[in-house]
Amino acid sequence: MRLRILPKEEVPRMVQALMEDYRVVGPKAKGPKFVFEPIVDPAEMRLDYNITILPPKVALQPPQERVAKIDLEGEVPQTDPLIEAEPTVIFGAHTCDIHALRLLDRAFAADYPDNHYLKRRQETLIISLECLEPCDEHSFCKDMGTLTADEGYDLHLTDIGDAYTVHIGTEAGEALLERCANTRAATDDDVRRLNEVLSAKWPRFTHRLNFDAAELPALLATAYEHPIWAELGERCLSCGSCTNVCPTCYCFNMLDTVSLTLKEALRIRRWDSCQLDEFARVAGGENFREARAARQRHRFFRKGKWLRERFDTTGCVGCGRCIRACLVNINIVEVFNTIHGSA
Amino acid sequence: MMAGKNGKVKVAFFDFACCEGCQLTVIDSLQTHLDLLEAVEIVNFREASSEQRQDYQIAFIEGSITRKQDEERLRRIREQADILVALGACAHTAGINALKNLKPLDEVRRYVYGEHADWYDTYPARPVSAVVQVDAFIPGCPIDREEFVEVVKALLVGKKPPIPDYPVCVECKLKGNVCVFHVGKVCMGPVTRAGCGAICPTYGDGCEGCRGIIPNPNENAMEEVLDEAGLTLDEIMDRFTMFNAYRELEAEE
Repeated sequence: MRLRILPKEEVPRMVQALMEDYRVVGPKAKGPKFVFEPIVDPAEMRLDYNITILPPKVALQPPQERVAKIDLEGEVPQTDPLIEAEPTVIFGAHTCDIHALRLLDRAFAADYPDNHYLKRRQETLIISLECLEPCDEHSFCKDMGTLTADEGYDLHLTDIGDAYTVHIGTEAGEALLERCANTRAATDDDVRRLNEVLSAKWPRFTHRLNFDAAELPALLATAYEHPIWAELGERCLSCGSCTNVCPTCYCFNMLDTVSLTLKEALRIRRWDSCQLDEFARVAGGENFREARAARQRHRFFRKGKWLRERFDTTGCVGCGRCIRACLVNINIVEVFNTIHGSA
Repeated sequence: MMAGKNGKVKVAFFDFACCEGCQLTVIDSLQTHLDLLEAVEIVNFREASSEQRQDYQIAFIEGSITRKQDEERLRRIREQADILVALGACAHTAGINALKNLKPLDEVRRYVYGEHADWYDTYPARPVSAVVQVDAFIPGCPIDREEFVEVVKALLVGKKPPIPDYPVCVECKLKGNVCVFHVGKVCMGPVTRAGCGAICPTYGDGCEGCRGIIPNPNENAMEEVLDEAGLTLDEIMDRFTMFNAYRELEAEE
């Protein structure tokens, strides 16, 4: 592992240099909250952010994208894929979100490889940021094992006071650093400071699950008929906010829109949510998850069991976004603890 | 649908009890989507044209039904039109017109028309669908112009118009908005039909519910959310009846 030192005053210059060649997507303030958006001015980058409303996956799986153009003039419609990818740097992603991107990478490469996501992923470099304190009381990254990351980034920054240490994760990251940033070699003192910072951070994060997250799949396997699902079904608004802010949710819907001349059409892909009333309705009118309780159960099983079993990485990264977004206070930590307490 | 000799589908616009703001949005969309006039022929549109032909295939209806004689006129339109579309909140859900349904009719008539109340015939406001079959609807007060264009396109190709059946929260989240509840405001977004691009929360205001309530809303949960946000029972009812009084009164019966 190679370590470089990036003095803090060099960060704006680095961002500016990156912006010459890349779309730089980083944390910015939005009212009292933060969002990942393309950076227009290096001064708006807020590396001191706690958590963003939407995760950085917006740079790889945008909420809405055009996926194909369809020519309707011939006898048979002619479909041409549209892949909207551009060289991108995701700057300042926290490690929970890095773990989530690993899951998305696997999900979009499985079965039918998704060229839209994969092409964007291929053109994206990730500069992640070590968290030194919890975002707020809803973070449970320590429970989910996402409080740090050993892979999944090209460069990884840790704040050691007046500078960031930069772990080089990939050759592409190293080349990017050489080209766009003024860094220096790490001294023994830098390494000592880094170790101090990393040791000091662990006690600041508390465990909030009453059990080891590795038990989740086995725990949920016994909980399919648990009374909690009916209770959540009573409370849930089915607004879809929990899944729309989730960094590991990747479901989408496709819709075609024709031009007014009826000569061409666009195929649009948009995020979808298993919590919405119509999500599981199929041709013929049957809805396989008509009850809110069934939809809630589906979400918790995805997060705690099915995604992990399918992609061999955690389906929930403990970011707590779903908890903050839920207007009826459905709290994934409380749900898992309740199930554990009654097992 | 049979197009006219020029290859265009003939459309008409009619209004009942309304402010004509939705028709104004239609006129506005004609200026931003010039292809609209290539795609359809407008044969009857009082607000925009002196033409008054009756050979239309698609009829757009703005406004609520508030008088007996409205019904007769509406039925004649229904007989002529292959497709009848409720345009905007007043036609779709009876909108704010139905606020009067919450009060005794005599009281409302005296309040509005004073001593001449007897001169004006009126009854509780109803959506267009309470009188004739409605084939499609475009929600909102006023309608969203992009959605209007999408509905026209869907009708031209014979598809079901793409009106969302999910709540405003979805569009609001996809835009990465700060939830207005998190800045101390209240919002009907969790139970209101999307399609407006969450325009009010995007600009920092709570949703007023102008696009109608989604199918299968969790109204008890929504009431609790509003209660937790500090609203009194009356204020909660006001939120539910501002644009959706007709629905609330129907539910009571």
